Amino acid sequence: MEVFKNWSGSMSFKPGQIIALESEEQLCELVKKATSEGKKVRVAGAGHSSSPLVHTKDYLLSLKHFRGVEDPDLKTKRATVPAGMTVKEAGKDLYRYGLAMHNTGDVDVQTLAGAIGTGTHGTGKELPNLSAMLYGLRMINGKGEIVEINRENDPETMQALQVSMGSCGIFLKMRLQLEPAYQLYRKEYCVSFKDCMQNFEELKKNRNFDFYWYPRTDLCKIRIMNTDKEKMPHISYGSPELEREGPSHEILPRSRDLKFDEMEYVLPQEKAMECFYEVRKQVKEKWRRTVAWRLLIRTIKKDDALISPMSGRESVTISLHHNAGLRFWDYFKAIEPLFLKYGGRPHWGKKHTLKAGTLKELYPHWDRFQKIRKKFDPESTFLTPYMNELFNFEK
Amino acid sequence: MRKIGKLDWAFSGGRIPFESTGEEPEFNSHDKISVLNTSEEAAKIGIFIFYEDQAPVGNYEVEVEPKRLRKIRINDLIDPEAVALERNYGCYIRSNIPVVVQFSRMATGQQANGIMGSMAFPAD
Repeated sequence: MEVFKNWSGSMSFKPGQIIALESEEQLCELVKKATSEGKKVRVAGAGHSSSPLVHTKDYLLSLKHFRGVEDPDLKTKRATVPAGMTVKEAGKDLYRYGLAMHNTGDVDVQTLAGAIGTGTHGTGKELPNLSAMLYGLRMINGKGEIVEINRENDPETMQALQVSMGSCGIFLKMRLQLEPAYQLYRKEYCVSFKDCMQNFEELKKNRNFDFYWYPRTDLCKIRIMNTDKEKMPHISYGSPELEREGPSHEILPRSRDLKFDEMEYVLPQEKAMECFYEVRKQVKEKWRRTVAWRLLIRTIKKDDALISPMSGRESVTISLHHNAGLRFWDYFKAIEPLFLKYGGRPHWGKKHTLKAGTLKELYPHWDRFQKIRKKFDPESTFLTPYMNELFNFEK
Repeated sequence: MRKIGKLDWAFSGGRIPFESTGEEPEFNSHDKISVLNTSEEAAKIGIFIFYEDQAPVGNYEVEVEPKRLRKIRINDLIDPEAVALERNYGCYIRSNIPVVVQFSRMATGQQANGIMGSMAFPAD
């Protein structure tokens, strides 16, 4: 049996079968077969997630044959992206047609479908997570049927499907609401913690802004991106580290050679910095003995997806990192209660310890989501044991 | 300018103090190496950290530009993994061209700060 390993190497398992089918019909047949056998189906994506969302002993699908942007429309600023494409591939392909995503995360190696399905985000207080681009969907439900749906013909269901981690069906094609292709200007500076905090509110006004905090020096690196419509600020209190400009899909992500594991929580913006101060204090007092990796703080606009971590709340995220291959759980588990104390919701694709009982309390529309989920997947074909732990606390 | 120094360096008394007093980052307790490259080409430095109870960790890769000095806090090395604070370690430093390496430690755990420095051992 082939072993599936995620990007950081912290999760590996042997699925019953890893299958890369080439047509929608074959996929529908496979889902029907799995449902009749009582087996589970998950889609592997690019393996960037470090939570066991794709862990299955049964069928693990690769959609690597489903690629190539379709039906670009500059008038409506929409295009269709097949679910096998990575964020990087989609960005490059869309650019050829004069279109671009409003934002991406710091890495672009994930499949776009995986990034959308987990509520993955970039930074920018006026920019919602990637799932907000999802205008319409073509997917296979748990009965092996093709379903087509969009924001106009069924907005309420789209709110459920938008961030659903493949639990309602297999995304085949995503119709995205995009922007005309645009240039971005990027600058990075090294600044003191004090200056970063004093200027935080002002820095947040940039189109994209985030910062790293370095536990062993107490320094910060601020990262700012704007289009030519906005003015790049003059940062007199920082030492310049990097300056770039180019098409958005080339400027938004940064290359990552060094692998890491990560825990990220999404906090309501009004409580986030208080939480960050408490996390920083604990890291300085205890964890920097062994941990030197920086923490990343980002801002995200709220959305209306039912179980998006940013659902209904203007948000700030705090993420912890530790070198891949080192013991990360002691550190992550020690900090996680602080995130929860301030109302944090975990990033679905990163490390966390929460189960359905706790998660339900974090999402006001939890029951509505579960009801819609069951409608699409009545036999729970997409609910592996891990997904069941996330969703069904009563079982 | 002439290349001076050695290719291989080492020190054995590494231990980064955990406690610090005063403003950061200026007063973080740390171990540091200063690498002087007098030559006309970049020095590619590899750092290997040795412990009492596990296999060495490295290579930590660092570059020192031609005719430049570079100060490297051991605290800041994270690739392939962070060097733990308050843990005994030794260090082997190799370079592709001759360089001069000095080792220093600043301990600010109390207000009366202490700094010590020495040459690393030129091994080749």
